[in-house]
Amino acid sequence: MSDKLKTADYKSGLKPIWCPGCGDYGFLNALTSAFAELELKTEDLAVCSGIGCSSRLPGYVKAYSFNGIHGRVLPFASGVKMSSQESTVVAIGGDGDGFSIGAGHIGHAARKNIDITYFVLDNNIYGLTKGQASPTTPLGVKTKTTFYGNMGTTLNPVRMLIAYNASFVARTFSGDPKHCKKIIKEAIQHKGFSFVEVLSPCITFRGKDQYQLIRDRIIYLNDDHDPSDEVAAFDIANYEKNLALGTIYKKPRPTYGEIIKEKVIKKAQADCTSNDPKHIDNLLAMFKP
Amino acid sequence: MLNNRNIVIGIAGSGGDGVISAGEILVNAASSEGLFVFMLKSIGPQIRGGESSVRVRMSDMPVSTQGDRVDILVVLSWKDFMRFKSEMLLEKKVIIVSDVNDPMPDEDIPLTEAQRELWYKIPFAELSKDLTGTTQAKNVIMLGAISELFSLPKEALQRSVKKKFKHKDQSVIDSNITALKAGEEYVKNNFNTYDSFSFEYEPRGPRLVMRGNEAMALGAMYAGLEYYAGYPITPSTEIMEWISKYLPQKGGICMQMEDELAAINAIMGASFAGKKAMTATSGPGISLMNEGLGLASMAELPLVVVNVQRGGPSTGLPTKTEQSDLMQAIWGSHGDSTRVVIAPADVEDCFDCAVLAFYIAEKYQMPVIILSDQFIGQRTESISRGFISSPDRGFRLLYNRDTPNEEDLKDFKRFKYTETGVSPMSYLGIKGGEYLGSGIEHDEYGNPDSNVLTHQTMTEKRWKKFDHIKKEFRFERFYGPKDAKLGIIAWGSTKGAVKEAIAKANDMGISVAAMIPQLIFPFLIDPFKEFIEHKDMIIIPELSYAGQFRRYLRGFLRFSQYNCKVKPFRKTGGAPFMVEEILDQITTEWEKMEASK
Repeated sequence: MSDKLKTADYKSGLKPIWCPGCGDYGFLNALTSAFAELELKTEDLAVCSGIGCSSRLPGYVKAYSFNGIHGRVLPFASGVKMSSQESTVVAIGGDGDGFSIGAGHIGHAARKNIDITYFVLDNNIYGLTKGQASPTTPLGVKTKTTFYGNMGTTLNPVRMLIAYNASFVARTFSGDPKHCKKIIKEAIQHKGFSFVEVLSPCITFRGKDQYQLIRDRIIYLNDDHDPSDEVAAFDIANYEKNLALGTIYKKPRPTYGEIIKEKVIKKAQADCTSNDPKHIDNLLAMFKP
Repeated sequence: MLNNRNIVIGIAGSGGDGVISAGEILVNAASSEGLFVFMLKSIGPQIRGGESSVRVRMSDMPVSTQGDRVDILVVLSWKDFMRFKSEMLLEKKVIIVSDVNDPMPDEDIPLTEAQRELWYKIPFAELSKDLTGTTQAKNVIMLGAISELFSLPKEALQRSVKKKFKHKDQSVIDSNITALKAGEEYVKNNFNTYDSFSFEYEPRGPRLVMRGNEAMALGAMYAGLEYYAGYPITPSTEIMEWISKYLPQKGGICMQMEDELAAINAIMGASFAGKKAMTATSGPGISLMNEGLGLASMAELPLVVVNVQRGGPSTGLPTKTEQSDLMQAIWGSHGDSTRVVIAPADVEDCFDCAVLAFYIAEKYQMPVIILSDQFIGQRTESISRGFISSPDRGFRLLYNRDTPNEEDLKDFKRFKYTETGVSPMSYLGIKGGEYLGSGIEHDEYGNPDSNVLTHQTMTEKRWKKFDHIKKEFRFERFYGPKDAKLGIIAWGSTKGAVKEAIAKANDMGISVAAMIPQLIFPFLIDPFKEFIEHKDMIIIPELSYAGQFRRYLRGFLRFSQYNCKVKPFRKTGGAPFMVEEILDQITTEWEKMEASK
C-alpha cells in the first residue's frame, strides 16, 4: 500500500540535542523503524517522557508527544492510555528519571498492568545535568557529585520489575539495532504493562569504552529460556558478570483497561437505572429526602 | 433567643450512640417538609467509636450558617459532650434533654443555673433495652421524644426513618418506627407540661439534601467530567468516593493513584488525550500538586483541581477548616504560571463552581483551582429541587475545547499566537494534529525553544488569556445597603456568617454592606473599587492567621487612596466564624465611626 508509513515518516524532523556517539540515537532509529513495521498510525500513537537526555526523545518522533515532569512519565502515560484506550502509548525515560525521582510510580503502573510500554534508556549517569551519579551508577565510580566514588550499590532494574509483577520484562542494547527493534516490537505488542531496560551508553560522562564494556558483558537469551518461569527470570536478573538480552519475563494477565471495561463500567451501567442524556436528573434523585 | 421558626439542635454522644444517623434522619425529615436545613458534624479523631456530635439548624426561612448557639441540646453521653463544649456553645436559656441514667453527676456538668432550668431526663438506653434487647435504638427513641417535646414534624420523621432503613428487612423498619413512637409515648406519659417551646413552620415542597463535596462532584458530572484521578485525603475524599461510584455509569474512568503527584500527572495525561479531567485534594496533597499545575500552565492543558482546604501547615487539622491556602493557590508552583482561582461560598455554590471551572479550563486551556474548604465540603444543606435550572445562580454554561479545523491542520501550530491567547488544541486520533506538548518553553509548533523572545512572547500569550477571562466573568455577592460607609470584604465559606451578621446589623440600625467575590484570581479590580469607593472602613474577616486575603487585596487596592481604613479580622483554630463574632466587629467599628463624627 502506498500510504504505508516509512521509518522517516515517524521522525519529527527536529535535530536531537544528544552528543555524538550517544546510545539514544540507536534506540530512536530502532523505535521509529519498529513503529513503521507495526504500521502504527501517528495520530493514534502517544510518546511520553519525563526529564533527562532520553526524555527529549518524544520531540524527535512524529506522534502525540509529551515531555512532562521529571519522574512522572508513568502516571501521565497512564492517564493518556485510560483516556484513549485504542491508542498505542509509549513511555520513555532514563535511569535517573525512572529509578530515582520516579521510582515510586513503577510498582503501581506494573501492578495495575496498564497497557503501556516503558523504555528506560539506562546509561548509568545523569547526562542532561552533565555527569552526576544515578541509581545505576556502579559502586565506587567517581562522578561530579560523588567525588570520592559512588557510595551506593547499583539498582537492578530487571530484578525490581520482576518483583513488581510487571507482565513483560526485557532488556536490549541500543548498540544492537536489530535486537533492539525486535524487543521494541515485542514489548509494544504485549498487552499490559511492559518494561524494557535499554542499555544506552553515555560516552561523554561514562567514557568512550562504554560500548565495548557492554559488548563484553552481554549474552543473548535463546529459546531455552521460558519467560513465564519467574524463578528462571530472577536467576537471569541476578547474573553478576553477564547482562542477558532478550525477553526475560512475560506473564500476560488482564490489563487495567480490560478490568475497568468488564468489571467496573459494565457493572456500574447495569446498576444504573438509565444512561440517557438526562443522567443528571437520575443523579439528583439520590439527594431527595 | 428561642425563636419558634428557627431552631438549632445539638446532639452529642459516643460514636456508637448513633448521633450522626439521628442528625441525618432529622435533616431528611426537615428537608422533606421543605425546611431550610444546615447540618454540621464534628467527630473525634478516632477512626471508629470515640465521640461525635451534630448540629442541625432548621427553619422555614433561609439559613446560611449552622447557628452560633444551640437552642436544644440533646446529650446521649455527657462524657462525650465534654469534648465539644468549646465548639458547641449553648444559649443562655438552652433546653437540655439527656439520659436520666448518665453516669456523670449533675454537678460535674458545665451548665449555668439558667441552663439547668429546663432539663428533660429520659431513660433512652433503658427504653431501648426494653424494646429491642440492646441500646442500639436509643437514638431513634430520642428522636421520637424530642419530636413530641418540641413539636417537630412527626410524620416526616417516620418517613425519614423508613427511608434510612429501606435496604434493611421490614422487621428493622418496624422496630425503628416502634422506637420513634416509644419515645413520643414516654414523653406523653411522664411529663405533665412541656409547652415551653414548640417549633412552628410553614410546610413546603421537599428540598434536596446535599453535602458540599457531593455538590462539587455532581457539578463536575454536569459539566461533562470524563476522567478523574485522585488520592484519598481528608476532607476532600468524599468527592472521589462519590465519583468512583457514579462516573463509571457514564462510561467515565476514576483511578485511585499512588500519590498526589501521580494524580495530577494522570489527569494531565487525560486532558492531553482530549478528556475533561479533574482531581480533588486537601492540605499536603495540594502542595504536592503544585509542580503539576506549573506544567498544566506551560502545556496549556485544561484541568480542574479542587482544594478542600483544611487547617495547616503540614498535617495540621485534617477535620477542621481554614482559608489559608489562598496565596498558594494563586502563586504556588515556580515560574509565572497561569491558573484561575475560584471560591465557592456554600454547598450549592460548589456545584456552580465545578461547572464554571470546567468552562474556564476548557475554554482558556489552563488549570482552574476551586478553593473550597472543610466547612463547605463536609456540611449538609438543604437546597432547592430546581436549583440546576435556577436562572439566578450565576454561570451554568458548558464548553468543549476548541479543536483545529482543516485549515489549522495544514500546518498545525498547537500554540499559535492568537488574539485571545487561546490556540486550537488537537488530541489523539486527529490526523495532522500531532505535536509535542511539554513543560519546556516552546515555539508555536510546540518545539523546544529557549530563545529570549520566544519565552517573552509565549509568557505574554499565556497571560493574555486573563484579559479575556476578566471580561467574561463577573460574579460577586453583595449584601446590605449600597451607600453604607462600613463594609466587609470576605471570601469563600465566610460568606454565611457575614451574610447573617449584615442582616442583623442593619436590623439594629447599623448601616453596613458586604462583598463576597467568587472569582479570586485573576483579580477583577472594578467591583472592588466600586465597593470601597464610598466606604470609610472595610473589615476583612478571614480564617487565616497570616491575613492572606487582606495581603492579597492590598496588592491590588490602595485603600488609603479612597480614604478607606482597613480592619483585619483574622481567626485561626479550625472553627468557622460565628455570626456574633462578625457582628461584634461591625458594632465596634460602627461605634468608633459614630464617635469620630
